[in-house]
Amino acid sequence: MNHACKEISRLASESIERELSLWERFRFHLHMAVCKHCRNFEQAIELMHQAAALMHQSRYGEIKLTDSQRNRLHKAMDELN
Amino acid sequence: MHSDPHQWINEHGDYLYRYAMSRVHSEEIAADLLQETLLAAWKSHTTFAGQSTIRTWLTGILKHKIIDHIRKEIRERNLSDNVSSDPTTAYFNNDGSWSEAPHAWNENPESLCRNEQFNNVLEKCVSKLPEKQRLIFRLRDISGDDTETVCKSCGITATNLHVLLHRARLALRKCLEIHWFGVGENR
Repeated sequence: MNHACKEISRLASESIERELSLWERFRFHLHMAVCKHCRNFEQAIELMHQAAALMHQSRYGEIKLTDSQRNRLHKAMDELN
Repeated sequence: MHSDPHQWINEHGDYLYRYAMSRVHSEEIAADLLQETLLAAWKSHTTFAGQSTIRTWLTGILKHKIIDHIRKEIRERNLSDNVSSDPTTAYFNNDGSWSEAPHAWNENPESLCRNEQFNNVLEKCVSKLPEKQRLIFRLRDISGDDTETVCKSCGITATNLHVLLHRARLALRKCLEIHWFGVGENR
């Protein structure tokens, strides 16, 4: 097996960001077919990507302005008129 | 009615605050940015053409305020890229193979994502990243901003973004493997 793992792991990450070129896809899939480690890596970063997005939902989905923040904003808007 | 700023606060304040909070992680800064947004919106509301919803229009203004804020912070704190030195070599042997092979994570992604303990470990791992990688990973993967917006916020090219995200993901995967999946030590 050729040891292109360093390069392939980079492509795995970039495939989340952009569409890989035809040549990159070819090399990527060829390597993935024979390399369990890189398949594990790809699976892991996909999982982290999904988990991070869901974490955003659970951490920030319920946040609200406090009453004092809200009052301050209303006051700042009053001063405009 | 699109010209009543009090109504903007009542109808969209929480949403905008949430949007800012998830990107700047500071109640004080988020509230300040929101106020600046409302003031800027008030100044230009006569030009609001009504082609988008009020919320989309306000979010667009807030987005620019957040980008300005992040750029200023990067400039002031002089967060460097260091794209020239390559920390990813630590993960690979000279022949390009993994120095420590990634293990299979045999957990169901959906249930793992909803596991609060896992999220805590993930967050802890994110907090250990070098500052700029942390900022970029948060904007891109956690807040879900698109590549273009993150590049604009941080004043970097798409190529640099890819380099830094790859580094962040290599480090995070390893951190989770140790601290969640218990490879190499006890959980």
